[in-house]
Amino acid sequence: MTTVIDVQHLTKQYKDKTALDDVSLTIEKDTIYGLLGRNGAGKTTLMSILTAQNFATSGQAHLFGEAPYENADVLSRICFVRESQRYPDDATATHAFKAARLFFRNWDQELADRLIDDFQLPMKTTIKKLSRGQLSAVGVIIGLASRAEITFFDEPYLGLDAVARQIFYDRLLQDYAEHPRTIILSSHLIDEVASLIEKVIVIDNGRILLHEDTDALRGRASTVIGDAAKIEAWADGREVLHRESLGRVASVTVLGHLSDADRAAIAAADLDLAPVSLQQLIVRLTQNAAHPESTTSTMAGEAR
Amino acid sequence: MIDEGRPLFIQIAETIEESILDGSLAEEAQAPSTNELAAFYRINPATAAKGVAVLTDKGVLIKRRGIGMFVAAGARGILLAERRTSFAEKFIDPLIAEARTLGLDDDDLTALLRERSARFEGAENAASTEGNHP
Amino acid sequence: MSRTLNVVRLQLINKNTFIWVPLIVLGGAMLVSVLIYAMIPGDDPKYGGGGQAPLWVFFSVGLTAMTLTFPFSQAISITRREFFIGTMLSAVLGSAFMGVLLLIGGGIELLTNGYGVNGWMFHLPWLWEAGPLGAFIVYFTLALFFFVVGFTGATVYKRWGATVLTIASIVIALVLVGIAFLVTRLELWGQVGQTFGQLGALGLALWGLVVTVALMGLSFLAFRRATP
Repeated sequence: MTTVIDVQHLTKQYKDKTALDDVSLTIEKDTIYGLLGRNGAGKTTLMSILTAQNFATSGQAHLFGEAPYENADVLSRICFVRESQRYPDDATATHAFKAARLFFRNWDQELADRLIDDFQLPMKTTIKKLSRGQLSAVGVIIGLASRAEITFFDEPYLGLDAVARQIFYDRLLQDYAEHPRTIILSSHLIDEVASLIEKVIVIDNGRILLHEDTDALRGRASTVIGDAAKIEAWADGREVLHRESLGRVASVTVLGHLSDADRAAIAAADLDLAPVSLQQLIVRLTQNAAHPESTTSTMAGEAR
Repeated sequence: MIDEGRPLFIQIAETIEESILDGSLAEEAQAPSTNELAAFYRINPATAAKGVAVLTDKGVLIKRRGIGMFVAAGARGILLAERRTSFAEKFIDPLIAEARTLGLDDDDLTALLRERSARFEGAENAASTEGNHP
Repeated sequence: MSRTLNVVRLQLINKNTFIWVPLIVLGGAMLVSVLIYAMIPGDDPKYGGGGQAPLWVFFSVGLTAMTLTFPFSQAISITRREFFIGTMLSAVLGSAFMGVLLLIGGGIELLTNGYGVNGWMFHLPWLWEAGPLGAFIVYFTLALFFFVVGFTGATVYKRWGATVLTIASIVIALVLVGIAFLVTRLELWGQVGQTFGQLGALGLALWGLVVTVALMGLSFLAFRRATP
């Protein structure tokens, strides 16, 4: 597979915070990535630096083999619409799309028109006066219709209701199927995008926690529930991500693939097995990274 | 429905295998394209492609250039053979384990097997005769 | 080059920015001025500063070019250089448009003899000393200067924050006051007045153009590392 983005030891240091800490990674061509992490983990900072909108303190990033800063050849092939993107004073959506059309060589007006229709975007209202959802829709439409070879979506769904989000995901997949390109989608709603993304990058406190195929992560962890004593016994020697207990019932989430034999043993011991969704896995891994193995809860509630 | 705990591409492959086994997707018929699968399940086309690739590797699906994906002749046979191999491990072994827990020996197990099998066939016959009424 | 020209087209997508708003503000200033002139008794020529109204529009446009249009340009992958040059070009075109409006306004005033009330806001004598071309250059330079000041101020603000901007403004003000103080102490006002008189509006405007271009240069240096 071809690498389109190459990041080496990227660090972004602010006075009181390290936004990115020695980040190295490569992004492959024509693949949809999920860039996942908490608020302030460094997702937007990373994407800003990659698109030369922000500057690294040290380290390098190359897109299509070149540095992006003031590089029209590289920049014209990428698109990054931020979460709270600003638009020219008094501009309407019509103005914004006309502008985008001037600079994206692959801009598809037909696609833009279809999306405008899908999102029911008012074209003559000034962007200032649009609702949060409509504002997000403008950004989403620019991102999709640009057909840029590398497209970044920075939490694009903020403000979009569930219906609109589904429209976005559907159109994204459809267009990606017909016009494959590299897409990097940052999101909180991990389970919603889980089936869209081919690879997962988890960033936490400026560091890369995880960088894998999504499918490889499914089944990476399991939750076993049952009698507390049996659970303790079963979990002994395994890598535990999370424990919970309620009276005599306990649940434990462990890392590691379970073989058929394991499953049989669990069933035989009268314990229950529950799958761990991508979101749960990432949440647990992130919590674990912050507070290694002290994630115990005796409150009722989720074995989620 | 999508199972969170297992790779998607495997689930896609299994769904297609199921439809071949139960006859709804006939041998030599055209199989759904990667894009169709992706759109239907709302998943990444690359994942759908991986699932299809699993089946092409097994010889269950074949690609006809310029036309699309087709179910191979003998695909059912391949799948049945595969299933039989894992049948013992997947179903028989847990059965034996549970039987032992309940204190059933091999003879008890065999007797149970015959009894339930007879009942099973009886139910199937009833269902099909009912179905034959106009 | 074509991308830079596309930035000019970008700035002109919304005709309000460089064309309609300045025009409307100018029209409004004209109306207000004429009404005021009409109310003043007597036949002496009346001169007013209504013409400066659109200049403040240019200041505001320069400001928002940096605070709003620049972040947008980053989203659609325009380089900083392309954006800067294209935007300055647009400002030049817009300022030229203002210059033309001045000439038209002056023409109207001449034809109507000050709107029939001997009131003048465009055809001010010292402005037109060097003829229509001179007047054009003066107004052009003023508009461009206001734009660049707005743009530069916003750039300083975005790069280094409000504190630095305030301090810089105060320092500039102090320097100007300091110069005035020196001139007063050294009793040079006579000479200053003479020089200005010799230069005339056109001469001052040309110097103003030099200052504006210098300011553009400084602005670009700060702009190169600005983040949206």
